[in-house]
Amino acid sequence: MSDKSGFVRIDTLSRRDALRRIALALTAGGIAGTMRRADGTEVHEQVEQERTLQGEYKVKYFNEHEFKTLERLSELIVPEDEGGPSAREGGAPEFIDLLASENAELAAIFTGGILWLDHRANQSHGHAFAECTAEQQDEMLVSLVEAERTETGPDTEWQTEEHARFSVFGVRKPSDLRRGLVFFDWARRLVVDAYYTSPAGIKDLGFLGNASHSEYRVPGQAIAHVVERGPFRDI
Amino acid sequence: MAETKYDVIVVGAGAGGGTMTRVLADKGIKVALVEAGPMLDPQRDFKTNKWPHDYGHRGAEEGGKAYFGKGQAYGFMIAASGGWQLEGEPYTTAPGTKFEWFRSRVVGGRTNHYGRMSFRFSDLDMQPYSRDGIGWDWPITYEDLAPWYDRAEEFIGVTGTQEGIRSAPDGKFHAPPEPKAHERLIRAAGGRLGIPFIANRRAVITRSINGRLPCHYCGQCGRGCLTESNYSASQVEIFPAMKTGNVTLITDAMVRKVEVDAQGLARGVVYVDKAARTERRLEGRAVVLAASACETARLMLNSKSSHFPDGIANGSGLVGRYLMDTVGFSLGGILPALENMPRYDTDGFGGAHLYAPWWLWDDHSKLDFPRGYHIEMGGGFRIPSPGSFTAIARQAGYGAEIKRRVRELYGSFVGLSGRGEMIPNNQSYMDIDPDTVDRWGIPVPRFHFSFSDYEWRQARHMERTFRDLIEAAGGTVLGIGNTARERTGIAVPGSIIHEVGTARMGSSPNTSVLNQYCQAHEVPNLFVADGASFVSNPDKNPTLTINALSWRTAEYLSEEMRKGNV
Repeated sequence: MSDKSGFVRIDTLSRRDALRRIALALTAGGIAGTMRRADGTEVHEQVEQERTLQGEYKVKYFNEHEFKTLERLSELIVPEDEGGPSAREGGAPEFIDLLASENAELAAIFTGGILWLDHRANQSHGHAFAECTAEQQDEMLVSLVEAERTETGPDTEWQTEEHARFSVFGVRKPSDLRRGLVFFDWARRLVVDAYYTSPAGIKDLGFLGNASHSEYRVPGQAIAHVVERGPFRDI
Repeated sequence: MAETKYDVIVVGAGAGGGTMTRVLADKGIKVALVEAGPMLDPQRDFKTNKWPHDYGHRGAEEGGKAYFGKGQAYGFMIAASGGWQLEGEPYTTAPGTKFEWFRSRVVGGRTNHYGRMSFRFSDLDMQPYSRDGIGWDWPITYEDLAPWYDRAEEFIGVTGTQEGIRSAPDGKFHAPPEPKAHERLIRAAGGRLGIPFIANRRAVITRSINGRLPCHYCGQCGRGCLTESNYSASQVEIFPAMKTGNVTLITDAMVRKVEVDAQGLARGVVYVDKAARTERRLEGRAVVLAASACETARLMLNSKSSHFPDGIANGSGLVGRYLMDTVGFSLGGILPALENMPRYDTDGFGGAHLYAPWWLWDDHSKLDFPRGYHIEMGGGFRIPSPGSFTAIARQAGYGAEIKRRVRELYGSFVGLSGRGEMIPNNQSYMDIDPDTVDRWGIPVPRFHFSFSDYEWRQARHMERTFRDLIEAAGGTVLGIGNTARERTGIAVPGSIIHEVGTARMGSSPNTSVLNQYCQAHEVPNLFVADGASFVSNPDKNPTLTINALSWRTAEYLSEEMRKGNV
């Protein structure tokens, strides 16, 4: 049941079945509120089962070196830690490849950006970025972040355009880092998005929604947390 | 010649057209419901309970077009069919005017995805001119409208609590869900500032009615609801009405004109069958326009005849005039009390569980603006989607710090939005662009729009109030408002999608287009059942009032038909 993107598309019929079960559970539970959370999450379990059918991802756009560079960038930008794996495991390289295969403008940002990064790595270290040591790679990204902090600023236009969902970060002062900063901002944005929208990222966040409940309750410990840390003794 | 003759032709299958169709069909009246968009299939079209990772593009859409500002308005998961721009269907703006026009061409229209905030207008809202000498009074009072609010609320289902606040009349409510932790914090801040936050009033059911299931708190009303636990004209009114056998639904039909007979009465409509690119006709005893305020006015202005050289029922010249949107202003902040919050499901019933109705209604003498606003709220642990953590990641730089900051700050942002009343003015209207037609050759609207100082001052009050609320809650405002934003501190006109008022009702044919039953003064068998009839645009989201007025008009129309007057 894979679509052309290589990700499983949920079969409409099985989803309909699952939703029917939610409906039945709600009808049975109804006002009495006896529905179990497990019934409501039926849909998601099915999604998970179907996702395991997903095959190996075939790279659609980038060459081997570019894809390898994206894999490394994904590990560096959102690394593995105690809360979850890296964005490489979160599917960031595949996500970027898929979008680039469908969008020449985005593809050019990444192919040009990787060449910029490799040129800089070659100048400093005599290797392409992916072949540099972890210390060299870290040093390069740290210098980019430092430059970003001094040379860029927010475009405030988005604050008044309520329907503009994605803000744009503008480069204030042109410099020889300009190309790299724009690329790095795109890479970080897409790597971060891929990670936090992946099952691993959702687990890392501790997101508990997109579920079904027969009644809505706010746990006391959440309220206690706000009281403990906030300006009011009672909320 | 028309292919069939119906009792009533209803143009537009949204809130007004849906209510009209259901009420008439239940009485055995034969309705032709004409919709410019396609049929809706919720099972196929709604993304209820989907995850971003169910899609290779994670919600950024094909080629990541959302990153380039070219994605679906309000995000990939939303149930809107349409958007700010429709291919082949342009609209224009006069020099100096910014106006955004959101169109949702589909059975159910914008009710498939809307915010579902459902507030009654109050007596203060219905006779504003009598109170402060600004704007115009409605030809009906709150008492006239209250029984229709009762019916509308009981039928569609609205949450709320009995509060006894004059500016926010109570209704027939379903029990609301309890407030979330961050909402309690803002409520406490409001308490300190004298701003009351009360249970939100949304068109969501928390007990089963009419075979619809109660809300299951997935928080995804905007995606459309497969259990029909919120109001949409499609699932709650049109689909059930079709089961009566009295409704003929004609989709992908773009109405070009209302035709009149030799006496100047509406005879029916001419429409373009979009699939066949063929012109067709429908005849009916009455025509009801419910195409949305600006489409209805466009249709009226385009319906020229020897009887009505300036457009049908436009002897007053007021069709298209006094266009209003809502005054929108938003400000957000980070609240340290919410950082590192224990995780829980904050989805709830699809919107904030609390809101603040206008609280200074008796204090306008002390304010520099005449009308009020209500406060909406956003926050909590939102489902991650493209863009959710871009700002935090940018601030953190790169690496492990991104993950650490995201964990810490996730759920600590609260956004406040003001939704205020705009006073109708002479500079805000729509007419027909003489040089532009859509892909069917139908002339398109041209918008003219200007806010007055009433709105600018109100927006500045919102800004101060929201900053005070965020700071009282111990938070820090993001995107600080300052004097440089004086002229950009209101949402772009039209972008709140509360555009109303282009064919207002009134008691005199010289100063209004419709009478108090939304019947055209000049054409007794022509009615309007959308926001075009609004005389003012109070700080109450318009849909519930469209439902109530449409129901009232439907009862009047059926009675007039029974008496033989129509």
